[in-house]
Amino acid sequence: MRILLIEDDRLIGDGLKTGLEKLGFAVDWFCDGLEGEEALMQAPYEAVVLDLGLPGQNGLSVLKNWRNRGRNEPVLILTAQGDVDQRIIGLNSGADDYLGKPFALREVQARLNALIRRQNGQNNPLITYKNITFNPQTLKVTADGKDVILSPKETALLKLLLLNKNKVLSKEAIENKIYSWEEEVSSNAVEVHVHHLRKKLGKDIVKTINKIGYILGEE
Amino acid sequence: MKNLSLRLRLMILFVGFSCLIWATAGFICWQESKEKIDEFFDSYQMLLARQMASADWSHVSMQTQKITNKIIKNIKNAEDEDEAIGFAVFNADGKMIFHDNENGKDFTFRPEIGTFSKQKVDDEWWRIVWVKSADGNFYIAIGQEREYRTDITMDMVEEFLAPWLGGLGLLLVLTIIIISREFSPLKKLASDLENRLPDDLSPLTGKNLPSEVRPMIEAINRRMAQIDDLLQRERSFISDSAHELRTPLTALKIQLEVAELAGNDQKMRQVALQKLGIGIERSARLVEQLLALSRLEAKQAQNEVFEQIDWDNIVRQIKDEYASAAAAKNISFQEKLAVPAVIHAGNPVLCALLMRNLIDNAIKYSPEGAVISIELNTDHIKVINSGAHVETAHLNRLSERFFRPAGQKENGSGLGLAIVSRIAGLYGCCLHFANTSKGFEVRIEKENI
Repeated sequence: MRILLIEDDRLIGDGLKTGLEKLGFAVDWFCDGLEGEEALMQAPYEAVVLDLGLPGQNGLSVLKNWRNRGRNEPVLILTAQGDVDQRIIGLNSGADDYLGKPFALREVQARLNALIRRQNGQNNPLITYKNITFNPQTLKVTADGKDVILSPKETALLKLLLLNKNKVLSKEAIENKIYSWEEEVSSNAVEVHVHHLRKKLGKDIVKTINKIGYILGEE
Repeated sequence: MKNLSLRLRLMILFVGFSCLIWATAGFICWQESKEKIDEFFDSYQMLLARQMASADWSHVSMQTQKITNKIIKNIKNAEDEDEAIGFAVFNADGKMIFHDNENGKDFTFRPEIGTFSKQKVDDEWWRIVWVKSADGNFYIAIGQEREYRTDITMDMVEEFLAPWLGGLGLLLVLTIIIISREFSPLKKLASDLENRLPDDLSPLTGKNLPSEVRPMIEAINRRMAQIDDLLQRERSFISDSAHELRTPLTALKIQLEVAELAGNDQKMRQVALQKLGIGIERSARLVEQLLALSRLEAKQAQNEVFEQIDWDNIVRQIKDEYASAAAAKNISFQEKLAVPAVIHAGNPVLCALLMRNLIDNAIKYSPEGAVISIELNTDHIKVINSGAHVETAHLNRLSERFFRPAGQKENGSGLGLAIVSRIAGLYGCCLHFANTSKGFEVRIEKENI
C-alpha cells in the first residue's frame, strides 16, 4: 500500500513515515508542496496524507490542483488549526477526511485504511476471501480461523491482491504499489513474495497469468 | 457624613441650610418689625402727649375725672381694640391730678422730659413718655404696655413667615423628589454594572446621565477598553500558545508510538527515542519562550530595573555559549561594540535574552561559513548574518509571535524575535529587518516619536 506523505515538520514527517512503514505501508515523504504535488503524478498511490501548512505551495492549493487535474486519490488532511473553518475548507477543496493535531499514528493508520477500503468499494473493515480473513488495522491474517504470520511485504502484497480481487496486476504495478522510492527492489522480489504467500495460504490463492501478472480470484 | 450617600448628604445640607436661612430671615424680620412698630407707636404716643400738653389742666377736678371715666368706658365698649395706652397727669408736686381710669392711675411720678422710659406698672413693663404742659405747671405721662407691642410684632412676624414655612416644607419635599429622580440614572448604572457578566467589558452608555458624571463614565469606559484589550491579548496568547503546542505534541506522540511499534527492532527504537528527545527539547524551549514572552507582556518599562548594561560582557558570554554550535557550521563573528549603546541602561537579564535570541537566530539561519557581525552604538544595535536571506513578503511579519515561514528545517518556536521586539519596546526601541548586500540584518533603534 503505497502512501504519499507531504508534511514539512521533520519530527512528524519522520515519525509518520517510520511508523506507517512499520504498519505495512510504503511511504514516500516530501516536505515541499510543489515537489509533493508533482510526486502524485509519478507513482500509483493508494492514498495521500497532506499537511496544510507547507512551504513552496500550501496544502490547500496542492489539493485543489490535483482535483482540477482529475486525480481522485483519497486525501487525508492534517490541520493544526482547531477551528472548524479550516476543516470545512479542506473537505470542500476535495479532501476525503481530516485529522486535527495532535493526532496519533494509529489514528492515521485507521483513517488511511478506511479511505483505501472505501476507494475500493468495500464497507466491511475485515477483508475476506474464501477461507482467508485480513484485518488491515491489525494486519492480522487468518486462514480457517488460524493465525498466519506474514512478513510486512507479504502482508502488503496480500492486501493489494485482496483489494483488487478479480483483477490482473502486473509485476511492475505490484512493485510500484508495495515499494517506496528509496527501497531497493530485486528483480524477482514479487515472485518470491508470491511464492511465500502460496506456501503459507495455499497454492491456489494467487494465480499466475502468463506474461501479464498475477490475480486473486477469477479473471 | 463622608460615608453617607451623596443623595442623603445633599438632602441633609439642603434641609439644614434652608432652616438656617429661614431662621435668619425670621430673626431679621422680627427685629425690623419691632423697630418699625416702636417707631410707629412712639410717634403716636408723642403726638398724644403733645395734644394733651396743649390742654389747660388748671381746672381739672374730681368731677372731670368722673366724666372722663364714663366717656372712656363708653369708648372701650364700642371698640374692642385695646391699644393698651394709658395716661396720667401730675402737678408740679408730683401729685396725680388726672388719669385714664385704667393703667394710667398706677403710673409712678418719675418725669424724664422728652424721652421714653421704662416703668413697671402692675407687674408689666410700660414705655412711658413725659412732657410738660404748655403752661409748664403739669407733667403729662403717656404710656403703652410693652407686651402689647411685642404681641403685635410677633403677630406680624408670624404672618409674614407662615407662608415661608409652608413653602419651605414644599421645597424640601420637592428637593427630595428631584434629587432622587436625578440620581436614578446613576442607581441604574450601578445596578447595570452589578448585573453584568464578568467578561462583559462593553462601554457604558451613560444615557440620561448629567454631564458632570460624563468624565467619570468616559474614564471608566477607557479603563474598560484597556482591560478588554489586555484580556483579548491574554486570550489570544493562550489560544495561540495552545495552538502552537499542537505540532510539537503531535511529533512527541508519533515518535513515542513509533518507539512502541519498534518491537524487536532495536535500531528503530533507538532512532525514535532520539527523535523523541529532540521533540521534548523543542517543546521545552517553546514553553520556556512562551513563559518569557508572557512575563514580558506583563512588564511595564517604568517599574523595570535600570542598570548600566555591559554589552561587551553579554556578547562574550553568549559567544562562549554558542561556540560549539558556531564552530559546527564554521561561523565566525565580527564585533564593533561602541559605548554608550542605544540601550545603555536596563535590565541585564532582559538585555542578555535579547542578544541571545538574535545570535541564536543568526547561527541557526546562516549558511555554512557565514560571518555574523554585531554592531553596537548610540544609534542602533545591528546583527547581520552574511549569506542569509528572508523573503521580502515575510520581513514585516518576523516579529509576530509564532510566525515562522513554512518549511523551516531548524527547530524554533517562532517567538524569539517577538521576544526581542518586546524587550526593545520596553526601552523605547523598535525592530527593523532588511536584506542587505552584507546579508540579513536585524536593527534595533530608537522609535521615532
